[in-house]
Amino acid sequence: MKLRLNIIFMFTVAGLAATAPPLLAQERAYFVTYDHYLEEPGHLEIAVANSSGFPRDGGARHAPWLELEYGLTGWWTAELYLEGVTSRRDGSAFTGWRWENRFRPLKGEHAVNPVLYVEYESINEASRIQKEIVGAGRLPFEPIAELREKHAHELEGKLILSSVVGAWNVSENVVFEKNLSADEGVEFGYSVGVSRAVGTLASGASCRFCAENFVVGLEAYGGLGSTEAFAAAQQRHYVAPVVAWRLSDRTTLKASVGFGLTENADRALLRLGFVYELPIGVRK
Amino acid sequence: MIRRAQQAIVVFLIASASGVVAIAQIRERDSEWTAPSEAAARPNPLAGRPETAAGGAKLFHVRCASCHGPDGRGASKGPDLMDAAVQAQTDGALFWKLSNGNTRAGMPTFSFLPEPQRWQLVLHLRVARRAAEGRARATGISEAR
Repeated sequence: MKLRLNIIFMFTVAGLAATAPPLLAQERAYFVTYDHYLEEPGHLEIAVANSSGFPRDGGARHAPWLELEYGLTGWWTAELYLEGVTSRRDGSAFTGWRWENRFRPLKGEHAVNPVLYVEYESINEASRIQKEIVGAGRLPFEPIAELREKHAHELEGKLILSSVVGAWNVSENVVFEKNLSADEGVEFGYSVGVSRAVGTLASGASCRFCAENFVVGLEAYGGLGSTEAFAAAQQRHYVAPVVAWRLSDRTTLKASVGFGLTENADRALLRLGFVYELPIGVRK
Repeated sequence: MIRRAQQAIVVFLIASASGVVAIAQIRERDSEWTAPSEAAARPNPLAGRPETAAGGAKLFHVRCASCHGPDGRGASKGPDLMDAAVQAQTDGALFWKLSNGNTRAGMPTFSFLPEPQRWQLVLHLRVARRAAEGRARATGISEAR
């Protein structure tokens, strides 16, 4: 019921915002993988999204999050995440916040474009947005009320490499995460993605269903153990087709269905996101 | 103790972000930002297809107008693209600049757009300039009368 309400809410917001006046939107189809494109300087991107994980033994959990992304400069983008979790059996909870920064050290476009990523997380064990997957082992499935009491401060780093190959974007991310609240060593993860715009030439007319408004791709992500143990058999890996649809010049709808490839991974990870872009401080 | 450290981190991050936002609003033209000669020599493959300029105008409205103004005459964040110094550059140079961006000067990279769409933007800049010149001539003639 809650999932249905979430979906109805997101589609309603998408429908209303599709009629918004035009402006810029840079659509990244990926949910987990980052490419080298940062937010436009002075632009605020507001995103609402949801990750629904469906474990092999039932007990789906839905994790909505709000994302505020701001282009501070051409080479620095900052983001604030607020996230929650809900399930039919266990009720709902706020699971924490994240502060993310991405820095692009090189000035122009190169064969491989590096971006450095640093994130601080103040979350609890009930967190289920699965924006990155690190380490190994199954996600804990105690009741949400119990998990929310287990708080963690985490520091996460990523090396993002991204290239333009013909019409395709090819991105690779290496993830390092350190739980500052527990002695778990450093956990590792990865994500890789390829995507491309569907259209080539832009039509002169305003259109919503033109090929030029769609970006499609595929991403794969998972954990790679930790400094304590590689634990190959317990790792979680996913592969997920992704699609982004520019509903209007300001708004984008994104969707992805991730398929769990290993025993500890959820059977499916359904993600849906709605992005609204707002320019701030632009004067004639 | 942890909560206090957490609050200090948040305050520090917000303060540093605010400072950078203020600095980020200052835009200066980068005189060293020039296209390599090979890139500058590339002709616009859409030059013989004026019907594609309408798509370029739409892209400009979506991608560029927020910084360069709706008519490309410049705004607080981006320079005047109708300016003679910009228009004197070759199609290839303009294509290279919008493909590569200049992150230090606040110009984003538009390599995520398919190549034909970037050429459409270059074509639109030429068409818009000619239209502006035409309007200026017409205004001059009517004023002379």
